Amino acid sequence: MTIAAPAIVVDDLHVSRAGSPVLHGVSFEVPAGSVYALLGGNGAGKSTTLLTLLGFLQPSGGSARVLEHNVAADTAAVRQSVAYLPEAATLYPHLSAYENLDYFLDLAGAGVDQGAVDATLDRVALQAEARGRRMETYSKGMRQKVAIALALLRDTPVLLLDEPTSGLDPVAIDEFNALVRSLSDEGRTVLMVTHDVYGACQVADRIGLLRRGRMVGTFDAPEGARIDTETVHSAFTGRSAA
Amino acid sequence: MNAAIRIAREEWRQWRRSRLAVAALTIFGVLLIVTSVLTAGDMLDARQDRLHQQAHAEATFLDQPARHPHRMVHYGHYVFRAPAPLAVFDPGVDAVTGQSVFLEGHRQNGAMFADARAQARAGGFGDLSPAALYHLFLPLLLIAIGHAVILREREARTLGPLLSQGVTGRQLYAGKSLALLAMIGLLSVPALIASLSAIPMGEPVSTALGLYAGQLLYLCVWGALIVLVSAIVRSRGVALGLLLLVWFVTALIIPRIGVTAVGTSLPADGKIVSDMRMKEDIRKAGDGHNAADPAFAQLRANMLAEYGVDTVEELPVNFRGVVASTAEARLTDTLNDYAEQRMARERAQSDGLSAFGWLSPYIAVGAASRALAGTDLATHHRFLREAEGVRFDFVQGLNAVHAEQLAYSDDINRSSDPQAERRTRVDPKNWKVLRDFRFTPDTADVRIARAADSLLALTVWLFALIGLGLWAARRMSP
Ligand SMILES: Nc1ncnc2c1ncn2[C@@H]1O[C@H](COP(=O)(O)OP(=O)(O)OP(=O)(O)O)[C@@H](O)[C@H]1O
Ligand SMILES: [Mg+2]
Repeated sequence: MTIAAPAIVVDDLHVSRAGSPVLHGVSFEVPAGSVYALLGGNGAGKSTTLLTLLGFLQPSGGSARVLEHNVAADTAAVRQSVAYLPEAATLYPHLSAYENLDYFLDLAGAGVDQGAVDATLDRVALQAEARGRRMETYSKGMRQKVAIALALLRDTPVLLLDEPTSGLDPVAIDEFNALVRSLSDEGRTVLMVTHDVYGACQVADRIGLLRRGRMVGTFDAPEGARIDTETVHSAFTGRSAA
Repeated sequence: MNAAIRIAREEWRQWRRSRLAVAALTIFGVLLIVTSVLTAGDMLDARQDRLHQQAHAEATFLDQPARHPHRMVHYGHYVFRAPAPLAVFDPGVDAVTGQSVFLEGHRQNGAMFADARAQARAGGFGDLSPAALYHLFLPLLLIAIGHAVILREREARTLGPLLSQGVTGRQLYAGKSLALLAMIGLLSVPALIASLSAIPMGEPVSTALGLYAGQLLYLCVWGALIVLVSAIVRSRGVALGLLLLVWFVTALIIPRIGVTAVGTSLPADGKIVSDMRMKEDIRKAGDGHNAADPAFAQLRANMLAEYGVDTVEELPVNFRGVVASTAEARLTDTLNDYAEQRMARERAQSDGLSAFGWLSPYIAVGAASRALAGTDLATHHRFLREAEGVRFDFVQGLNAVHAEQLAYSDDINRSSDPQAERRTRVDPKNWKVLRDFRFTPDTADVRIARAADSLLALTVWLFALIGLGLWAARRMSP
């Protein structure tokens, strides 16, 4: 694959939460149209990184840019070009999948027709009979699928996904990974956060390993192949605990 | 703005689908309607009754047969304070002050309860007026419905997607506020109906709408507080606890503290002590029934000198009537002094309590509401003053008849001479000295001026909370 200009550039990023430092100088780049998996243990700072990219947290040092926009200064422009899937998204339980999507897309100013909505829900494999039901009757994985569909329907050049496969069954995970690959093929940039080594290796062009707020390793997919699971797995778990 | 409206509409959909919101609204709506209807009925009946009783008392007085005028001074008369039209919403002090006064010579009687129903209102149920419901309980309903408006988004992790897709914190905050404002608008409809229904009874439009606006302002203060707490607190339990604490402190604790503080800073003389001092002062003024009382020696000397005669028998007027009139005037001066002192004290206490409105919107709205409705203490005091005016005028009118139409010799001999006694009875047409009395509330300007401070306090509260809200909205994050 050809190396395009980076869609996301994180440079020596320092972020504190509630007064204590969480990110200690994180740097990485996500080439446009590629899939980047940010891998790390609980509390490593993965979600913090995404929240900083969205402008919800202010860097105390360093910088981050999304499509050339500084995330701290040009927040509105960044948010315009990014779809964000939060950790453990549930959307509104009293609304159906259709109603939820309609509401969020309406607020996002994205005019989307019913056909596109159904096509995307097909893509995430949400059963048709459930789509008009209130989401409080959904399983965890079904809710996650709707949240993913929402991120896709935003039709933005960049997607920030926080643990998108949590709650999905193995079949759904495989389908999701295929989906992410196809997004990349469409030229969209995906930065996803995960603990799932196998999934990350399956889908990512590049994996960054985050430990206690520091980037401790980067793994690139060889031309025409996937990243080796064993290597990443031992890097993730092998050395002293995170 | 469009985003805010969309968010507000979504909030309403959530409420419509929430059993809690629907149940709370239904219960409250029923309570509000029942209370409004009962209070309105009560107040309309009371108004009718008292107007009727007033007319009846006047007719009875005028119907009295020929009598000695001083007997009519003691026969006495009643005046009634008909409730203000807006009492249908806020009966105010009506339930605790008494609404009628028995007027007679030589005394100022306190206000009494006009009827059994008025008496009953003073006990527990009298308090559950629409105003009480609005001031005390509606905030609780708003808290129940509104405390999670923004918190829910945070909990459901929808705040991140919302804010990350171009909805600004301010739009979200405005949308949620708008939703709650619409709820407040809906909940205030009964207050609006009650206020408007007073207009056909003679209520000026400005005070009727002013009363409604006061309620709206108060509810908006609560709405602004609720959205603010929902935006900055991160747990439902804490938000609910905090809001209930604010309710408890502003609606129950501060009023309690206010009453105590005002009571100790302005000690009211014990009633018995001041009554005794007043009796002493009255004794010094002389007994008007006894023309020989040394207190009137100077008066006698002055009158004899003025008319150039040697004895009171030779005076062209009945000296006993003159004494009665002079004594009444002196006594009334003394009584008025004491009454004014007492009322000034009561006013100071009530004004002192109103000042606590800067600490508690509950106190502010209560004071504003009573002032606008014309059911506050100041209005009651005016009733007492006007009643006293009626009393003084008819007593002095009768004393003038006594002085001018009765011969002194007949007057002093009437207990021994039946002929003289008959001549001291004057024609009933003289009873017309009694003037008609219809108590009306203060003009709109006066009432609005009296409510201004409290309304200002509420406005300051509202703007302070909106200011904090703008600040909180700007730094809103998931
Ligand atoms: N709201 C918060 N306030 C203060 N500190 C926080 C907050 N959220 C997270 N942290 C701290 O920041 C650090 C990084 O948290 P973060 O959520 O980024 O981890 P993560 O890599 O996403 O972990 P996980 O895999 O469990 O989601 C942790 O030490 C955590 O305690
Ligand atoms: Mg996380």
